[in-house]
Amino acid sequence: MQKRNSRIILGALFIAVFALFLLPSLIPGFDASLALADETAVTSDVDTVADANAVTYAPAPKLTAADYPSIPGVNSRVVVWLAAQLHLWFGAFVLAVPIFVFIIEAIGMATRDQRYDNMAYEFIKVSITAYSLTAILGGLLAFSLILFYPDLFTYLSTIFKGSMFAYALLFFAESAVLYIYYYGWHWLQGGFKKWVHLTLGLLLNATGAMLMFLANAWTTFMMSPAGVDAAGVFGGDTWAAIHNFLWNPLNIHRMIANVAYGGSIVGAYAAFKFLSARSKEQRAHYDWMGYNANFIAIAALLPLPFAGYYLTAEMYAYSQQMGITLMGGVFAWIFIIQAVLIGALFLSANYYLWCGLGRSEGAHRYTPYMKYLAVVIVGAFLVWFTPHTLVLTNAELKSLGGPYHAILGPLGIMPAKNTAVNLLILFTFLSFMFYRRANKTATVSWAATGNAFQIALFTAGIINIFILGIYYGYFTNTVYKVAASIPQVMTTLVIIITSVVIDVFMYKGAKEVAPLHWGRSRVSARSQYALFLLAVSFTWLMGLMGYVRSGIRQHWHVINIFRDNSPDAFTPGLGYAANVISVGTIIFMSMVIFVFWLSTISSRKSTTAGYWKEQGT
Amino acid sequence: MTKKRRIPRLLQLVLVVLGIYLGFVLTFDVILGQVIPKSLLTMYMFFVIAGVLMVFTFTEESAQELIGPIKALVEDPSKKMVRNVVFVIVPLLAGVYTYASLMPSFEAPVELRTIHPAPPSSVKAFGKRFDLATLENPYRKFEKEDPDKFHKLVKQGGEIYIQNCQYCHGDRLDGKGPYAAGLNPTPLNFQDVGTIAQLQESFVFWRIATGGPGLPAEAAPWISSMPIWQDFLSEDEIWKVILFLYEYTGRQPRSWEHE
Amino acid sequence: MNNFLKVAIFSLLMVGAFAGYSNFGIPQIEPAPPPVEEKLDLGAMTMDQFVALGDKIFHGKGTCTLCHNEMGRAPMLDKIGTVAHERLGDPRYQGEATNVEEYLHESFVKPSAFVVAGFGKSGTNDTESPMPDVSGGGIGMSDAEIAAVIAYLQDISGSDITVSIPTDVPEEGGDEESEGGGRAPLESAEAIIAEFGCGACHKVAGETGEMGPDLTHIGALRGKDHLRRALLDPNAEISEGFMEGMMPDTYGTQLSGKELEMLVDYLAGLK
Repeated sequence: MQKRNSRIILGALFIAVFALFLLPSLIPGFDASLALADETAVTSDVDTVADANAVTYAPAPKLTAADYPSIPGVNSRVVVWLAAQLHLWFGAFVLAVPIFVFIIEAIGMATRDQRYDNMAYEFIKVSITAYSLTAILGGLLAFSLILFYPDLFTYLSTIFKGSMFAYALLFFAESAVLYIYYYGWHWLQGGFKKWVHLTLGLLLNATGAMLMFLANAWTTFMMSPAGVDAAGVFGGDTWAAIHNFLWNPLNIHRMIANVAYGGSIVGAYAAFKFLSARSKEQRAHYDWMGYNANFIAIAALLPLPFAGYYLTAEMYAYSQQMGITLMGGVFAWIFIIQAVLIGALFLSANYYLWCGLGRSEGAHRYTPYMKYLAVVIVGAFLVWFTPHTLVLTNAELKSLGGPYHAILGPLGIMPAKNTAVNLLILFTFLSFMFYRRANKTATVSWAATGNAFQIALFTAGIINIFILGIYYGYFTNTVYKVAASIPQVMTTLVIIITSVVIDVFMYKGAKEVAPLHWGRSRVSARSQYALFLLAVSFTWLMGLMGYVRSGIRQHWHVINIFRDNSPDAFTPGLGYAANVISVGTIIFMSMVIFVFWLSTISSRKSTTAGYWKEQGT
Repeated sequence: MTKKRRIPRLLQLVLVVLGIYLGFVLTFDVILGQVIPKSLLTMYMFFVIAGVLMVFTFTEESAQELIGPIKALVEDPSKKMVRNVVFVIVPLLAGVYTYASLMPSFEAPVELRTIHPAPPSSVKAFGKRFDLATLENPYRKFEKEDPDKFHKLVKQGGEIYIQNCQYCHGDRLDGKGPYAAGLNPTPLNFQDVGTIAQLQESFVFWRIATGGPGLPAEAAPWISSMPIWQDFLSEDEIWKVILFLYEYTGRQPRSWEHE
Repeated sequence: MNNFLKVAIFSLLMVGAFAGYSNFGIPQIEPAPPPVEEKLDLGAMTMDQFVALGDKIFHGKGTCTLCHNEMGRAPMLDKIGTVAHERLGDPRYQGEATNVEEYLHESFVKPSAFVVAGFGKSGTNDTESPMPDVSGGGIGMSDAEIAAVIAYLQDISGSDITVSIPTDVPEEGGDEESEGGGRAPLESAEAIIAEFGCGACHKVAGETGEMGPDLTHIGALRGKDHLRRALLDPNAEISEGFMEGMMPDTYGTQLSGKELEMLVDYLAGLK
């Protein structure tokens, strides 16, 4: 029996993997582009290539306001906006959870610590209801697009028909794998079966990533169209349209952001469970879960600014107009709001770590240092926050002699912000290092040397970041200015990785000074609110960035190709957008609470004596 | 636990915040002579207070110590007198603040000029349409190909600059020309790292050719007195001036050379 | 208080703080409304502007001045508004127009309805005009544009303008469509020659134009490269005895790559 089961799974798995590899052939663009590449290689004759794509496509339609159906009393743009944003929030959460569930499950397998396995199971349990909500919201988005923007949908679907079909099929695959993964969790335990389960997790992530990449392609096509000519006539090469200029930058950015976001949502879940826990064990469990969720969120949050910077740089490179609209034009102020939100993220993540020091008596050694970390973190954040365009009263203008501020002006541009963000990340990492060492003392003989080396590393790294930021940022031309951000990032990454490696060896078999008490009374409710703040800020921030990403297209459906002529073609102002985002966030939060609530009632049982007829046996 | 007497936590917090506030004002307004904008200082202080609060509350003891006096003030029967005074003063202060901030003043409304307005995708100048995304300085290539010729072009650009631009933008390109004092917004300081060094040449061309009136609506109010230079200069001359601007300031135009 | 309520209130406060800051903490910039699309806004035009539009088309897009000029390739049109009614009574008139405006419109789209003596295609005894139908092919003027040119012609010849400004213009017929954007690709070189009216000036494909070089044996004289350049940049080299600037230099944007190659192959094959 045992053996048969595993054989079935193995078979199913094999088929699933096979199907996954077959998928690309379902996307006509894959073949077409390869065939096209071959042909052009063999013969450079223009006609042959043209003949190969005998199908001719229509140019992008020119619409009038009458081409947009409307329902009285319904603002079609806000409906599509909210549907898309809610779908994205849930999608991000649902795609992210399997990523770290996979990692946690693997950690559990490696350490043979069942707590990890239970936690991973709880994570996926939370996401399973969210999964169907994602699909429902995706359907709602598709419906509202077809209903309110039929011509746009038709135009996009002629270009992406293959990939849209593949998307639908992939969704089936995703569902199947997810359900086996979740419902088979307790069945697929131990030895070989656990490995099968882990492979399923990998498969789940692969399908999920592919789903997201496809949907990203449709989005980025509208921002950086490819595979079409200036009039919007599709050349027939789907791969070119998918692999457009901003596709990969967005893929990377969304992938990392998803993980951070998923971590923050799960953190909020754990925090809520912690606050309402009755027993000591529950408190300990959810404290531990919240800590891990926060760790995931921070780990993904650290590289996120770099991914965002890369995406923005690519947007600039794609079109200066788009770049300046984004950074200097109407949307300049959005980055001030973004800075506030990111500040909230970093501050609350740090605060949670500092509060976590209370879990062990051994941490008292480190508490005095936290204020220095705070000084640097807040200081770096203030630089990150300084706007390029200052709001000046007339008296201030007169006193300054013009709108340029000799000190704050240079802080408003990218090199200063890059330097600041690298410091912010390094010191957040430092907070984590202190936390890690809270209850231990290194016993290895070279501990002093190791510490000295780490301090030297940090000092040298910080000096390097400053030199790169100040010298290359202000005293050379823009090519270097942009290029200098890369060594800055590398410095930060080198410091983080090297320190982690040193720490791992240095604290091997370290002496425990005082035990770590998960969920003890000294873990305050305040720290749990930091986790809520993390989740709320993240959700709101994603909404804001979604608005700006879409907003920089301005009055275009597909930029410079397909004009938006609907009455709502105007770009909404920031305040209005903020209100829509807030409403969206509240809807999302309510839905998430519903999902969390569902996951708690499934384990509740009511005994109703005398309700059911006694079965005579 | 023996504890030496020290300043109460609450007072510490207030002192730290006040100290930082005064530090900002002192550094910017007095020492550096460049006032810190009030709007920015407000936000700075908001985050400073958030940071200070974080430091003061992350351990349980410290948080209790901080909240203790406040709790006592509200609950302790012996502090009745102080409580009454505080409960009168705080609403009064709030009222005064609200009154002061809502009181209409004769101050002109704050101007929000965007320093770098987003350029249009194409611009009409000299009776032609220029696609700003692909527009390049036709003379830039000589910088590498023919330095002598490039030098000559820069020199010509410099002459055009002196004849036309320096009255406002200054003979040192620092935005301090003889007429600059009469202008608001003040002429751009090309030496500043935040100006031309941040921009592609096509953007600079757009700004010179269409001047203040060519600014998009979002950069409003466009009270910039930059003339529409396409009426006075030729296309070539504008490109030469642009060469000069970058050459003289030692900056390079923004470019996107992808490796 | 219930934990749930506390958390909910905390979250709402945070969301409210973000929204409040975005609304009141930062300056509100209303993004500029989308720019108005450039198109013929006939509704708001005065007759003077309409005439000016006709002037622009006559000297520009319509390519009329290629032939209707002092070179004597086609009749001068400076008096057309006043002489046109004489044509209506002419026995050689083949059309159906009853007034000057209709006559002018007819001569735009069916030029052979009346051919001024001496300006017909050679060998047709002035029954066939070398002028192409301006509403199709390479020129592709819309009805509104034709009306504007009629107004312009009536204006310069000093007669009353009888044209009324059309109010509803179909979206089609704008500049872009006529420049190859929405046109179905042509299948043969003969179709291209017919569509673009090459025969109006050249002797080619059974047509007998005389204003440009004879192309009946062009393949024997010129290679493909030369022909391609002559199509894309006609003024690069002018054959002896012909004027510079006669042939439109817009075929590069009007023909598709495939059509161009087809035409070059066809011409090169004429030996």
